[in-house]
Amino acid sequence: MIEVLDVTRVYQMGLVEVQALRGVRCSIQQGEFVGIMGPSGSGKSTLLHILGLLDSPTSGTVTIDGTDVGLLKEQEKSEFRLNHLGYVFQDYALVPELSVRENVVLPAMARGAPPDTYLKESEEILRQVGLGHRIDHRQYELSGGEQQRVAIARALINRPGILFADEPCANLDSNTSRTILNLFRELNEKYGQTIIMVTHEEWHEEFMCRVLYMKDGLIDGEKACKMRENKN
Amino acid sequence: MPSQHFSVALFLAIRSIQRGNRFTFFLTVMIMGLVFVNLVFLPSIISGVVVNFNSQSINYNYGNLVIEPRENEVYISGVSEVKQKISQIPGISGSSPRFSAGATYHYHDNQLSGQITGFNPRYEQEVTLIHTKMKDGDFLAEGDTDSIVLGTSLAGNIDERLDQVDSLGGVTTGDSIDVTFSNGVRRTLRVKGIIESGVYSVDRTAFITLKEIESVYGLSDTATILLVKLDGDGQEDKYKRILMEYGIAERIRTYQEKGLGFVNDAIRSFEIINAISTMVSLVIAIVVIFIVIFINTINKRRQIGILKAIGINKNIIVYSYIIQVFIIASCGILLGLLFSSGLVLYLTYKPLMFPGGAVLPVVEAGSIIRSIMSLALVSLISGFIPSWKTANEPILDAIRGN
Repeated sequence: MIEVLDVTRVYQMGLVEVQALRGVRCSIQQGEFVGIMGPSGSGKSTLLHILGLLDSPTSGTVTIDGTDVGLLKEQEKSEFRLNHLGYVFQDYALVPELSVRENVVLPAMARGAPPDTYLKESEEILRQVGLGHRIDHRQYELSGGEQQRVAIARALINRPGILFADEPCANLDSNTSRTILNLFRELNEKYGQTIIMVTHEEWHEEFMCRVLYMKDGLIDGEKACKMRENKN
Repeated sequence: MPSQHFSVALFLAIRSIQRGNRFTFFLTVMIMGLVFVNLVFLPSIISGVVVNFNSQSINYNYGNLVIEPRENEVYISGVSEVKQKISQIPGISGSSPRFSAGATYHYHDNQLSGQITGFNPRYEQEVTLIHTKMKDGDFLAEGDTDSIVLGTSLAGNIDERLDQVDSLGGVTTGDSIDVTFSNGVRRTLRVKGIIESGVYSVDRTAFITLKEIESVYGLSDTATILLVKLDGDGQEDKYKRILMEYGIAERIRTYQEKGLGFVNDAIRSFEIINAISTMVSLVIAIVVIFIVIFINTINKRRQIGILKAIGINKNIIVYSYIIQVFIIASCGILLGLLFSSGLVLYLTYKPLMFPGGAVLPVVEAGSIIRSIMSLALVSLISGFIPSWKTANEPILDAIRGN
């Protein structure tokens, strides 16, 4: 569970102070698929970065599964990210010199998992995301959608408690986006994976449990999505 | 460093080299190799000059030790007694008294001043290798009188364009030349042979028997110096002490002490050039590695940010670059060793010609170790700085490319 309490984030841009977050307060339950939406400059990416320990709030606290992450040192944050969090970025961010499998196993290797375990797990996850036949391929041999699925597999290899996705479909066409979002939904519904995703597209809402709307650095509203409401 | 950090860093480094830009890799390795050659080559020539100088000094000029007249004396008198003492010392293979004086040579219309040396040919053969360097004719024999052996550059050529220095204009074996000694005595001597040793001081001198020169100066049992040859080189200081213990009161100097001056100045100059060349080489290595890694990390800044974001420890990233640099430096060093071996082999068959004779490069283990250590060290430092700088950037700055 994530608890966000009065989080502010102020950037100094030259002589100008930019208030990206102005006291955000929210909580996200385990197993939720939460979307963060809002216009450009509303603070959605800043919030995602703070929740994902990629940035620190100017004030306020973020608690993840009982840990006040603001108190962690840089090294501890790195370990926390490795062991508890997963990330999917807009442009996949794969290591071009590594094969699909090697990209996926990298976080598990860094965690010190035994090779037998991570190799088996990587095959399983890659099959899960529909890339079982592309294991030994390189990035340049994959389509955008396939690269994003590799990034998702990489994010899942350490079985993270929370998966963060920063506009994961921004570079994909609508069909491929749907494939990725279906994958997220499947992960969420079937395995109870907590997912927090920033997106611009309203039609993505149908895949989520809940959407937080942001405006001017604050959560302006939220709604439970229809499809999930119907399902529940 | 946790073991998984090292294994991940190694994995990333190997993959980066295997599948990264091969042209950049090979070019960098090539530059490292050439830098290594530069680090090794000049010291090997300096060592070659030193070895050449030492062997020439021992084999043609001085033997291992030189006994000189006592202070304020011009000659060593009672040479046979000194020689007798020396012959009792184990580990000494021979000694040869020499009598050197100034002389003027006359041949046809040519006249040249220089040094003339008298020795006992039998004793001389126990000490030096001059007798093995006959270009023409024969070496002196013990009973020879009215005979002289000339160094080749003193004898010269009929075609003076072939001479590098002034000469007598092409004296050949069987010719007669006139010699005016420093005491004014003039003698006509028959040229018995021409020596070509490649050692300037020998090729510029004329040699007669000790008996002949003693008769010119009206002396006997005297010498200006006495050369001593040891069974093995490198024990000169020890034998210098032993000779003194045996009661030799004359001045005793090692061949190194005799050579102080010209060669030491030359070596010192060489070493200054070498230091400058080494510094320039290392700066080139630093700049190349720094630029390669700097451009690499700049290009991969976003990727590094992402790797950190997904929890890859920044040390893993730094180590991976250090390992890459280590691999590049190692390959460069191996290539440099290969190049250097080829160069040494080539110069062994086609030696560099110096005024002191042919110089073969001598590659010393110490010089190779120093070069390896310095190249590895500067490479690691210049690889570490840009990778550490990029890996320490805030994650979001790296990802956004701010």
